[in-house]
Amino acid sequence: MPDRRDFLKLSALAVAATTGMPGFLARAAAQAGGSKTLVVIQLTGGNDGLNTLVPYSNGAYYAARPNIAIPRKDVLTLTPDLGMHPALKPLMGLWDAGQLAWMENVGYPNPNRSHFASMAIWHTADPTQAGAEGWIGRVAEKIGDPFCASNLGGTTPLALRAETFSLPSIERVDTFQVKLPQGLDGALNRLLDAPREGEADYLLRATRQMMKNTARVQENVKKYRAGASYPEGRFAEQLQDAARLIAAGVGQRVLYVSLGGFDTHAGQRAEQDELLGTLAAGLSAFHADLEKQGLADDVIVMGFSEFGRRVAENASAGTDHGKGSVMFALGKGVRGGVHGSSPDLEDLSEGDIKYRQDFRGVYAEALARWLKLDDRAILGGTFQGPGWVA
Amino acid sequence: MSLPPHPRPLTSEDAAHFLRRTAFGATDAQIRALVGKNPRDVAREALRFDSRTAPGNPFDPSTGATPGAMLQLTRAAWLYELMYSPQPLRERLALTWSNHFVVGTDKVKNHPALAGYLGLLRRHAATPSFERFTLEVAQSPAMLRYLDNDLNRRGRPNENFARELLELFTVGIGTPGRPNYTEQDVREGARALTGWSFEGGRGNPRNTYLQTPRASFNPRQHDDGQKTYLGQTGRLGFEDVVHLAATHPQTAVFVSRKLHRTFLADTPDEAAVQGSAETFRRTGGNVGAVLEELLSSAAFYAPHSRARIIRGPVEYIVSAVRTLGGPKLEAKQLLNLAQTAGRMGQLLLQPDTVKGWDGGREWINDSALLTRLQVAAALSLGGTAPTLDAVPSDLALFGSETGPAQAALKGLNPKQRVYLALISPEFQLA
Repeated sequence: MPDRRDFLKLSALAVAATTGMPGFLARAAAQAGGSKTLVVIQLTGGNDGLNTLVPYSNGAYYAARPNIAIPRKDVLTLTPDLGMHPALKPLMGLWDAGQLAWMENVGYPNPNRSHFASMAIWHTADPTQAGAEGWIGRVAEKIGDPFCASNLGGTTPLALRAETFSLPSIERVDTFQVKLPQGLDGALNRLLDAPREGEADYLLRATRQMMKNTARVQENVKKYRAGASYPEGRFAEQLQDAARLIAAGVGQRVLYVSLGGFDTHAGQRAEQDELLGTLAAGLSAFHADLEKQGLADDVIVMGFSEFGRRVAENASAGTDHGKGSVMFALGKGVRGGVHGSSPDLEDLSEGDIKYRQDFRGVYAEALARWLKLDDRAILGGTFQGPGWVA
Repeated sequence: MSLPPHPRPLTSEDAAHFLRRTAFGATDAQIRALVGKNPRDVAREALRFDSRTAPGNPFDPSTGATPGAMLQLTRAAWLYELMYSPQPLRERLALTWSNHFVVGTDKVKNHPALAGYLGLLRRHAATPSFERFTLEVAQSPAMLRYLDNDLNRRGRPNENFARELLELFTVGIGTPGRPNYTEQDVREGARALTGWSFEGGRGNPRNTYLQTPRASFNPRQHDDGQKTYLGQTGRLGFEDVVHLAATHPQTAVFVSRKLHRTFLADTPDEAAVQGSAETFRRTGGNVGAVLEELLSSAAFYAPHSRARIIRGPVEYIVSAVRTLGGPKLEAKQLLNLAQTAGRMGQLLLQPDTVKGWDGGREWINDSALLTRLQVAAALSLGGTAPTLDAVPSDLALFGSETGPAQAALKGLNPKQRVYLALISPEFQLA
């Protein structure tokens, strides 16, 4: 089969792809050393934090949501005041084992109710909306290797945008390989060898990088042996691909997976129930898989959404865009429990909760304590976290 | 300042450039036909639309046995139109508008609603009135459903459409220091938009996905109280809000920027955007006039404007077929290609979010590039690859008669040459 092997012959070409990036390989060798992996889960659309981590002892919660509140009898009790949405049941084992953390009341200054402005703030870790690079893109630049952070899915989120190179998106690990028709390697080599400018140069570098990345994955991915059964669906498939990449040990420090559909303006219960069920079932399988692979000590998961929903339900049995929300994290490296204090539902800002924990503090701990990177350099400041990394 | 015109008749490279941007590429004969012509005449001619469609479209969404099948047929039917329409610029613009006034098939699963929406995008492709266009889209069952305005009632506001009308369809969000609208505008706008819903074909139940929905206004559900919106106070209603948003001075800039991103550069030049915005305002939101000026401007034909736009997945596929002379593909291949565009990040009528696709470098990542390699192989080398009447020239493939790709491909047989051309950086740019 004249496919990948032919491309490996082009490795000289692939190395040449990096020559436009000063100090690239040298830095990669020096800084990529860590063995820990962070998996970031994006819940797209604004997940309702109050119906995720439910303040079931709070009368104001039930008063604000006569139709869509989670009845007390359905809540999965965690503390005397808080419990999880019933669809999160697959995560109860992790909670009991002290491997699930909830971060309460997370947000940022001058909250923006636009999905896109707010998501960009989470992606760039820049509430002034001035940043063009993603915070994970900056991680990759710090480490010096575009492959150290990869997205699982079709399009690369802004969080993974870097100035000097593009970070990979892997749609499916199985199809992440180049199959070149016979006899064309010389011509392709010539085609990609000629220097370009502008966007053509960008495409040229992206193509070379892709060839290098696919070769690297396919060389190593067979190290993974199926360890747990995953539920059906795209989200779980992507988590399994994440497990395969981690098992392959190809050098990714950050992996990124998205689950969309949380913009629940109408009929929220049915929509969010299903989504949280998908989330919990996928994460539970992923965690079991990592245990089987012997990788559970090396991986933590951190989840966020661009904002929560308004405290009061709207007339369509849904909720409109709100401000702060909850974050979650899981894994053996996590300090289980609820971190931070619950929002005061009787002291609201324009109908929304007032955040107390800046999300950049949560990121900072992932960067400094888990990935052992310089969080200040990546986040552009010092941010205090709630102590969620063990 | 409106945009200065390109002062010279078109050369062959000018003509190839124009057709790459406005017609998803072209054959040598189509390029030759424009050489020596006046740029303004060429733009005007390309923008003269009628109701013709591509002959022989094999897909009829109304025959879909399930909502899912109907959606697949809708996408394939549009892809066919994009590939073979006698009015490629109209389809190019419909694609742009579908990425502006976004609806998504995750919520709109009703065939007549989608057909009505696509019809609006085509009819207003180069609209003389952006305000009229906005109003008709806003009151289409597809949009009423997609952004929940069908649930927006007096005393029980649903802000979804009101917010996106401002943020994504008209004035744009502005900058953090200088926002173009306030949260108050969103709330008051939502009140003014109450009462508009639709009847029939709710889309989700399986038995109504072919039923025709009709927009409806229920005065009892309308909040006719005093509101203040974008600085105007009164008993504002749906049309007032659309009027104020669509004719706001910032809307001219926001819409012009989108047109520049479609036709000039992934990262547009803001001074040129302002030029088009001035024309937009002067003509009362005549998009056709803005486009005619833009597509015959010196900025459009400037050397540094060439090969600056990264072709998106749909554009890539359609460009390949059109550059190869429009060979007929099997229905199954077309259905597959519509899905393949989705795997590359652009499932027609289903962007990830209501913001639509950002385009530019966002289209490019490892998986998307791998899939482009597969598409190129399927169209040039494989057993089901179409037979070509003529092999396209370098000018048709690369937009230029001299460039780095040409030399690299010497000595290959025609199929191999087409394959590698399609995966070259030059082909992937417009």
